[in-house]
Amino acid sequence: MIRLRDVSFRHEGVRDDVREDNQGGIALRRLSFDVPQGGFRWLLGPSGAGKSSLLRLLHLAVRPTSGRMEILGMDMDQTRRAALARLRRRIGVVHQDFRLLPDLPVFDNIALPLRLQHRPEDEIRDEVLSILDWVGLRARATARPPHLSGGEQQRVAIARAVIHRPALVLADEPTNALDDQQASRLMELFQDLAGLGTTIVVATHNDGLVRRYPAHELELAHGRLVRDG
Amino acid sequence: MDGWCAMADRAASGRRASWSQARRADGLALRNAIPDRLLPVLVAAMAVLAAMALAGATGARVLSARWTTGAASIVTVQVPRPDDPALSAPIAAQPAPLSRGDAVLAALADMPGASRVHRLDRTELEALLSPWLGHGGGFALALPAVIELHFDRAGAGDADALAARLNARAPDTLVERNSLWSDRLGDLARSLQTCAILAVLIVVAVAAATIAATTRAGLGARRQAIELIHSLGATDGYIAGRFARRTAVLAFTGGLIGSLLALPLLVLLSHLAAPFAGPPAMATPPDASGWAGLLDALPLPLAVTLLSLAPAAALIGWLTTQVTVRTWLRRLP
Repeated sequence: MIRLRDVSFRHEGVRDDVREDNQGGIALRRLSFDVPQGGFRWLLGPSGAGKSSLLRLLHLAVRPTSGRMEILGMDMDQTRRAALARLRRRIGVVHQDFRLLPDLPVFDNIALPLRLQHRPEDEIRDEVLSILDWVGLRARATARPPHLSGGEQQRVAIARAVIHRPALVLADEPTNALDDQQASRLMELFQDLAGLGTTIVVATHNDGLVRRYPAHELELAHGRLVRDG
Repeated sequence: MDGWCAMADRAASGRRASWSQARRADGLALRNAIPDRLLPVLVAAMAVLAAMALAGATGARVLSARWTTGAASIVTVQVPRPDDPALSAPIAAQPAPLSRGDAVLAALADMPGASRVHRLDRTELEALLSPWLGHGGGFALALPAVIELHFDRAGAGDADALAARLNARAPDTLVERNSLWSDRLGDLARSLQTCAILAVLIVVAVAAATIAATTRAGLGARRQAIELIHSLGATDGYIAGRFARRTAVLAFTGGLIGSLLALPLLVLLSHLAAPFAGPPAMATPPDASGWAGLLDALPLPLAVTLLSLAPAAALIGWLTTQVTVRTWLRRLP
C-alpha cells in the first residue's frame, strides 16, 4: 500500500527567490492520499502537473522535501539505504522513455529484475520466454532496443516492469506507443495483477482509456492534488 | 490469448530446462567500462617499481641484521707488549707469571655471555695490516696481541667494566666496541629501509589513485546502466562488487606481469648484493636455469615479496574500487 501525508517535493538547485513561482522548482505540494494493496489508480493531470515527479517519488528515485511517505508498508523516514534497494525490487516501473539498455538484447533487458534477485537461470529463461510470448516479441528476443520500434520498446519496458511480479507497479504513459488492442491487453494485465494484490498507479493523458477502464483517479494540477476519487 | 500471469504460472510449474548458456548479463558491461589493456599495463609498471623498492627494503634489512648480529656482537681487545709479564698471577697454581697476552686471554675465558675468544695469530695479523704495510710480513713493528671476543648477542657485555678489569692485569689494554660503528651502519640501513618503505607506500598510493581514476571513468561511461539497475533494486554492494571483481582481476594480471618483469632484475641485484649480505657461500652465482632456478636465486623474503605482488595488487584494486564505487553511488537516492 501507499500512504502520503503532506508530502512536498522541490527539485534541487532551484534558487530561493524563485521558489514561490509556480514552476520554481516545487513539483509537488502537500500531497496526502492512500492507495490500498491491490488498488488501481489513474494519475491524471496536464503536462507539468507533477505526475512524473510523483511517480519518481513513489519509485524512490527521489526523496520528499517534506512530509511522510509510506511505500509497501515501509516508512521512508525510517528506512535504511540497504532496505531501499530491497524495496525497489518489489516495484515495477514503466518509464515514459522506456529506459532500456541499448547494448543488451531484449531477453536480457527483461531478465534484469530477476537477475538482480539472483534467480536461477533456467527459471529466468522460462519466465522471460513466457512474457515474451505474451507481449508478442519472442522472435525479437535477441534484438537490441535500438533496432526495435517504439511500440516494441514499450512492450519490452512493460515486460521488464512486471516480470518479477512486483507488489507495486508504476507506469508513466504506458500506452503511448501501443495500438488500441495492445493497450487493452495491457489494461487487462494490470487488472489481473491488481486482482492478485498488486498495487498499480498509471499516469496517462489518454482520456479514452480512462473512460473505458474506469477506476479511482488522482488528479494533479500545479503540483497539488485536486481530485482523489 | 491467455493472460500472461496464467502462462507464467504454467511455465514455472513445468519442467525446468537447463539453460546451458547461462549468463549474468546485468547491463554493466564492465569490459567496456574498464578496458582490459590500460589498467594491467599501469599496474605492471607500479609492480616493477614496488618490487625494486621492496628489494631495497629487504636488502637494507638483511644488511642491518647482519651488521647488528655480526660485527656488533664482537669486541676487539688490543694488548700492547703481549709477551711482557702480567702484573700479578691470580691463579695460585700457576708456576710462573703469565704474559700480558695470556693473562688477558685467561681473564676473557670466563667472560659471561661470551661465546668465543680468539687471539689472532701472526698470519691473521699480517693479513689485517697488509692494506697499510704491504704483504710479506716480517714487520719490524712491535705488534699488540689482538683478541676477538664474540658475544651471543649484539651489545652484550659492559666494555668499560671489561677494560677496567683487563687493565688491572695488563695496563694500556684497549677494548674496542665494534658496535659503535656498526650502530651507525645499522642506522644508515634503517634509514634506507624507511626510504624504501616510503617509496612502496607512494607506489601503492599512485596505484590506488590510478585504479580510482579508471573506475570513475568506468562509472561515468556506464552511468545510465548503473542508474537503471540501481532503480531496479541493485544494492551498492552488488554494483561495487561487480566493479571490484573486474579491477581485482585486471590488477592481479598487471601485478603478475610486473613480477615477471622484475624477477630478472631482482636476481641480478641479489647476486650483486650477496657478498655483503651473507657468508661467502652465498656469493657464488646461482644456477638460474628455469623459473624454479630463478626463484631459488632470490633470498626467501624477496621471493615471498615477489610472489605476493600480484595478490597485493588485486587486493589494492578491489579495495580502491569498492570505496570509489560506493562513494559514487551515494549520489543516488
